[in-house]
Amino acid sequence: MRAGAKGVGFASSPVLAVRLPSGRSRLLLALITLAFAALFGRALFLQGIKTAFLQKQGAQRYERTMVLPAMRGKITDRNGSVVASSLPVKAIWAEDVKADEPKLDQLAQLLAMPASVLRARLADEEGKFVYLKRQMSAEQAASVMALHIAGVHERTEFRRYYPEGETLAHVVGFADVEEIGQEGIERAFNMQLQGHAVRRRVIKDLFGSVVDDDGEQMRAPFDGQSLELSIDSKIQSTVFATLKTAVDQFKAKAGAAVVIDVRTGEVLALANIPTYDPNDRSRLRGEQLRNRVITDQYEPGSIMKPFTIALALNTKRVTPDTPFQTAPGHITIDGKTIGDSHAHGMLTVREIIEKSSNVGTVKVAMPIPPHEMYDFFSSVGFGQVPKIPFPGASAGRVRPWKSWKPIEQATMAYGHGISVSLLQMARAYTVFAREGDIIPLTMMRSDQPAEGTRVISPEVAHQVREMLELASGAGGTAPKAQVVGYRVGGKTGTARKQEGKGYAAGKYISSYVGMAPVSNPRIIIAVMIDEPSGGTYFGGDVAAPAFSQIAGTALRLLNVSPDAPFKASVVTPAPAVEESM
Amino acid sequence: MILRAILILAVMASSFSLVTAQQRMRRAIDETYRLQNEERLLNLEWSQLQLDQTLYGKHSLIDASARQIGMRPVTPDRTQFLSAGPATGATR
Repeated sequence: MRAGAKGVGFASSPVLAVRLPSGRSRLLLALITLAFAALFGRALFLQGIKTAFLQKQGAQRYERTMVLPAMRGKITDRNGSVVASSLPVKAIWAEDVKADEPKLDQLAQLLAMPASVLRARLADEEGKFVYLKRQMSAEQAASVMALHIAGVHERTEFRRYYPEGETLAHVVGFADVEEIGQEGIERAFNMQLQGHAVRRRVIKDLFGSVVDDDGEQMRAPFDGQSLELSIDSKIQSTVFATLKTAVDQFKAKAGAAVVIDVRTGEVLALANIPTYDPNDRSRLRGEQLRNRVITDQYEPGSIMKPFTIALALNTKRVTPDTPFQTAPGHITIDGKTIGDSHAHGMLTVREIIEKSSNVGTVKVAMPIPPHEMYDFFSSVGFGQVPKIPFPGASAGRVRPWKSWKPIEQATMAYGHGISVSLLQMARAYTVFAREGDIIPLTMMRSDQPAEGTRVISPEVAHQVREMLELASGAGGTAPKAQVVGYRVGGKTGTARKQEGKGYAAGKYISSYVGMAPVSNPRIIIAVMIDEPSGGTYFGGDVAAPAFSQIAGTALRLLNVSPDAPFKASVVTPAPAVEESM
Repeated sequence: MILRAILILAVMASSFSLVTAQQRMRRAIDETYRLQNEERLLNLEWSQLQLDQTLYGKHSLIDASARQIGMRPVTPDRTQFLSAGPATGATR
């Protein structure tokens, strides 16, 4: 300000020596100070007060949100073959599509829907987000996108594929378009199967490559857990094919079968007819969805008898050789008559099972106190919800013992007036197939031998097993259950079907539950055929041949060595003894 | 004076290393995302192949084709069974 005051050479000009009025320079100083103050204030305002807003605005210009998709877990069978898996497909969606868009007809054609429907759908939503078609293949979606219609977009989503189709439908179930499990394992294990997608904010450079991300979420998206089922696809395929043949052959309404590994409690196969294709669920009916093995309960009939006999043996009330008079082939309790289809005369306990005598079983059962019978039925799982994670698993029905009338106890002894599921029945037979202990079942692969709960003594288990083998022998009710090379044992059941309050005339449920090889049981197979209408309905004629076929293949696939001489193993087909109902 | 020069050099060196480190990090992150994407695509391809394997290796399909060319399932009378060995004991 005081230019020239110091008197250096170049400032010696007299012009410069003229003193300015001091007010001007002060004004200038004040203005400059004010300007700086304004700048400082503005900086403070932007940095301090509007900083969050500005950062967001800035971020929007270079940050992108990336969705890292997660896959729903795969489901495989015990051999690692995939039975359910997801693959990406496309969904076409629209927003703000002009009503006079000229390419709408072409679009409708590609989406395989009438143009009028497409127009109506777009008009309905008034420009809001609307899915036009979901689960399209990538090629189809590409041809739609090639039309370049403003407002039509595509989105990647996943579709569940089930390569085993109808064969395994009732075990695996299915997931809907949102990949949420609706049936079977897909539903029961939905939580484990579901993956967790991660949204991550990233910064992209000019070339679209990611240069930074929000380090706080460095965790990767995690895919859903994969599940390894206990099912063996090969056995399953055999069971399914055999069941289908049996249902067709006997003109039955439905059929179900289950195969259980006696050592581990694993369900090796589980099939139902009718079935459905989980890949195409457009014409699905409730009847097809029913899992008759797990969710349906029915009166089992004679396959119940071994339990009554086992209880009597275990409590030392009878021995296998105790004789019972079954003549004249019927017995009257509370004014109601229970009969055998043939009068058998004097039968030992062993022969009661072999010939499946109702009268004999009732005579064995009547001295047993109701609570003891009830407790025993409960201990082998009847009336109890099976501890198997499956939607809608049926508990069956065993009425409380306090209200039992003698006639009810009598009918329960041979499997009427009591309801069980086929799965419960198959599991209960592990008592005989093992050393008198019952094991929990599992649908997941397990290499551990199952921990059993002792229910009857090993001796009784052996005795009953021997009787079951007799029942499937030449003099029993099911010689057709025999398998070349293996000793088999099992029990037939032919139960009148319950309808309303009484039993339906001419409607039966034929079943067979058996084990093989008897010398050291490895598998239990339960087969149930619902309403065979071809004139043949005895369990020994309808269900036992299916058992034989399944057992032969399953034992071979499981590498079980034969325990019977090959040549002598097949007994000349004697006419089956008609069992009692 | 010497101390000042050293400090200035140190500051410059540190700033250069910061810049290069940042550049390296960006490249690494880009590479991570690229590889993750590649992994995803490979996983999808694997899933597709697994599905195909089950689809074309279905037991029922193989069974049907085998029967077509006149093959039959083995029966015990035509099978030689081997026991698991002395350690686990011969099977019956």
